[in-house]
Amino acid sequence: MKVREAMIRDVSAIFEDETIEDFIVSCLRQNKSGLPVVDDEFKVVGFLSESDVIRSALPSYFSLLQSASFIPDTHQFVLRLEKIKNDKVSLHMIKRVTCVKLDDTVIYAADLLIKNNLKILPVVDEERRLIGIVNRIFLIHAATQGKIDR
Amino acid sequence: MDVLTATLNPALDREIVVENFTINDFHRVKNPSYSKMDPGGKGINVSVILSGIGVRNVAMGFLGGYIGKVVEEKLRTMSDLITTNFLYVEEETRENIAIVDPIMDTITEINSSGPLIKPDDLRMFLRRFDVALSRVRHVVVSGSVPRGIENDIYSVICRKTIEAGKFSFVEAIGPTFENAVDAGLVTVSRPDLRSRKILFGQTLVELRDYVDVAKYMISRGSRLSVLSYAIEGDVIATRDGVWLFRAKSHIEKSHLLGTGDAFMAGMVHSIINDERDFFQAARKGMAAAIAEAGFISKELITPKDIEDNLESFEIHRLE
Repeated sequence: MKVREAMIRDVSAIFEDETIEDFIVSCLRQNKSGLPVVDDEFKVVGFLSESDVIRSALPSYFSLLQSASFIPDTHQFVLRLEKIKNDKVSLHMIKRVTCVKLDDTVIYAADLLIKNNLKILPVVDEERRLIGIVNRIFLIHAATQGKIDR
Repeated sequence: MDVLTATLNPALDREIVVENFTINDFHRVKNPSYSKMDPGGKGINVSVILSGIGVRNVAMGFLGGYIGKVVEEKLRTMSDLITTNFLYVEEETRENIAIVDPIMDTITEINSSGPLIKPDDLRMFLRRFDVALSRVRHVVVSGSVPRGIENDIYSVICRKTIEAGKFSFVEAIGPTFENAVDAGLVTVSRPDLRSRKILFGQTLVELRDYVDVAKYMISRGSRLSVLSYAIEGDVIATRDGVWLFRAKSHIEKSHLLGTGDAFMAGMVHSIINDERDFFQAARKGMAAAIAEAGFISKELITPKDIEDNLESFEIHRLE
């Protein structure tokens, strides 16, 4: 099975120069946890997820801690979120994004999703323009139906 | 990608077939297939029909809430040829309810008004439209304009389209349609005359009125104008003349659902194959509409259906 048979042909995305607030509103309304980030040619230049926004709004030493209970004041998080909400998406996105193409196999896409702990993979054309996405639940479903060949 | 369809006010179309429908009465739907739920709104309908005749397209517009998600999911599962790129707004997408009565030959339609579009929503939509426009050849913009959007919106969309060297196909009614036609921004103009027959200040009564308005739209820059005339006819105008197309057999009013959108899709399909022959596009559009009228509900016609119906109507040259 190829990616072209398993993808969702939706190209909802956020532009790299739109704001974190635009991103939050878009995700909230679409019930999504992240969006591909594109430039003016619709080329995928990054990915932004709610986890990236949370990470940006936490103190830099947070990643060294084992538990959120070490954060002295959650109010700090809210204040930092307020500070970054007008930032451009490009400041907080993940820039090295793994993408797949139409003729990649679904097993390859599943491998990328699992190994990189991703929820969504953008599907791009030869010029890296966004043409859809593949997500975990669809791949899990395809696997349970025996549609994924090795 | 060949075509972009813009539906500013999409809907969830709910079609219920009720025999001998009367108001203020209790009715039961006899057959489960007589109660259907489909993605709707004129642009989306064109997207669906285009996908049936093999045309890859991207559907854009505004959706919102739970109903918006249903519209998007249903649309996407209908065909691999449709890509969705909707901007989500705060309020809920509307529902269109049509009660079709095949016995009394009536359609009773109730359309809700749809969500409020805020300036930020419009800004984000137009940004996405600009980028999508660079990837298609033709733009179809059809249907009503939701609350919060100014009457110049069709002009804005069509100006971008024309300035990018592409064709704009528009089906709508009211000031937003008239403004875009008047500004010479509509390549193929098809006024939506279902709810009222007033256009450019003129009430359309006689065939002559239809001819005058069709010619007026050509004089403003349209390459093809199409006006639905009576149930079985259409007045067609290009730079080369005016014609009346008339179906050879009677078309039931209850079979009209989706015929206007099929007409549009047929024209787009023809123009993709030959960008210069607008009369041929009108013929293909009429054939597609008649093919669609063969179904009681919205069904997908095929390219063969269009070819098979090219002789199903008479063509009279008027001017």
